[in-house]
Amino acid sequence: MFALYKKEIQSFFYSPFAYVLSALFMLIFGFAFVNRIASMQSSVFQFSFPDMFYNNFFYFVFIIPLLTMRSFADERRGGTEVQLLTSPLTITQIVLAKFFAIETVFLFMIALSMFFPVYISLHGTVIWSSLICGYVSFFLWGTVCVAIGMLFSSMQSSPIIAAIIGEIVMEGFLFLDQFAATKMVESYPHLNAVITWFSMQRRFVFFAQGMFRLEDLVFFLTLTVMVLFWIILHIEKRRWSHR
Amino acid sequence: MVEVKNLTKHYGRVTAVRDLSFEIRDNEILGFLGPNGAGKSTTMNIIAGFLPLSEGTVTVYGHDIKEDARAAKRCIGYLPEIPPLYPDMRVEEYLRYCAGIKGMRHGEIKAEVEKVMRRLSLIDMRRRLIGNLSKGYKQRTGLAQAIIGDPKLLILDEPTVGLDPSQVSELRKLILDLGRDHSVILSSHILGEISAVCSRVVIINKGELCAVDTIENLERKASGSLTLNLTVEGAQADVSRVLSEISGIKETDEIADSEENVSSFKLKLEDEKVRQEITSALVKNGLNIVEMSMERPDLEKVFLELTSKKAPKDNADNK
Repeated sequence: MFALYKKEIQSFFYSPFAYVLSALFMLIFGFAFVNRIASMQSSVFQFSFPDMFYNNFFYFVFIIPLLTMRSFADERRGGTEVQLLTSPLTITQIVLAKFFAIETVFLFMIALSMFFPVYISLHGTVIWSSLICGYVSFFLWGTVCVAIGMLFSSMQSSPIIAAIIGEIVMEGFLFLDQFAATKMVESYPHLNAVITWFSMQRRFVFFAQGMFRLEDLVFFLTLTVMVLFWIILHIEKRRWSHR
Repeated sequence: MVEVKNLTKHYGRVTAVRDLSFEIRDNEILGFLGPNGAGKSTTMNIIAGFLPLSEGTVTVYGHDIKEDARAAKRCIGYLPEIPPLYPDMRVEEYLRYCAGIKGMRHGEIKAEVEKVMRRLSLIDMRRRLIGNLSKGYKQRTGLAQAIIGDPKLLILDEPTVGLDPSQVSELRKLILDLGRDHSVILSSHILGEISAVCSRVVIINKGELCAVDTIENLERKASGSLTLNLTVEGAQADVSRVLSEISGIKETDEIADSEENVSSFKLKLEDEKVRQEITSALVKNGLNIVEMSMERPDLEKVFLELTSKKAPKDNADNK
């Protein structure tokens, strides 16, 4: 399993892929950061980073599918899927190796973004508790999106189509809150409750306020595990219906 | 030994492979023949554990491919029709990765990759990107990933497709060499390749088994009788009279010949001994033999005969 993980990591870092995406990520973060500073009222730099994370997420959902689009679609297109599935690795091991590889790249991006709070801490004050909560929630939210992106990649043989579908679905998740707040959905309390429960945004707000709720942690982790399980089932199902 | 018993594969309502049974013995190269779309790749994909089977069993060195898939897959090296290569990886790096996913220990990988690269003459290419390799070297790299980890069974699906003649003969030599210490299943629709490399052949057509035998036996069985081409100095009527007295001749075809006083025949014989009887009978009657040659059915004829036999039955089924 480690061999596959290593190969995946290499495919990101031996090509410009991880660097270009990280640069894009830093660019978006940098813009948000500069905007934030420009709108500061006080002379002391003290602002909440989770707010920045929150604003960033709308752009970030465009980066994650680019990271995940090749994971399975490329293997299928290049005929290397046969090699993976005829190797002694189980499908679960294959999915987990790929998942952890993408998570590693994601963590690399997050680590790069730490430049901003470090810079602030040199010239102003950072609220560490809210910063840590912000990072944790950003990571958890991103992890769910990675799993969803991989799911669509496993369903497609074209990486681009996988990326586009992934983006649409992730944007859909972001607007779940607004959808729940519409009059139509509000008139059905049960439907409203279900949709609100799935809303990641609402949970993000708790984190942003520096509240670390076990309920939210469980939510993000179970959702990730469920989607990963779905990927495993989907690949297994495709083996059976393969022509 | 690898055993395939009553293997059946359905794709929805379509049956791609029906009731196949054969075995692959230790250190033999088994040819897997069939026209395009006969179910060769499906069968190989099932033996390799890529596709699940609908009915029957496949046992690879005592491990059932369904029940004990991991252990069975450890005994298999598979080169699919399209070699599974990553164009952005270097040859050595790729082979190390392949050794890794086959579960080899870190300490063993370096020596094993070195050994395989040497065996397949890939040493000079070790730092090259796979995407930049020629078709022949790509195929070699594909074969290298199959033999890495020294699996007992090699499954090679049309390995010579798209190669130039010199590459084909090199690859054949390699396969023959591999056959000394591995069991090999080699699929192809190129008959020359099969007869050059394999000791036994499985012929399938439209998903059904047509024959499993050695090439010599197949040739013998398929023809039913031996054909002798005979040219004799003398009038056709005289020769015909002499020939009609010999009981071992099943059929006599006279061939119109332009030359005067020379007659040609195509004879179907019961067995090879009849040939001597014909010679002595002709000599006794003072007829000189100009030419006498046995016609041996080649694998191509066997193949065509076997695969066309099934066709009418299948057509009837479809109706």
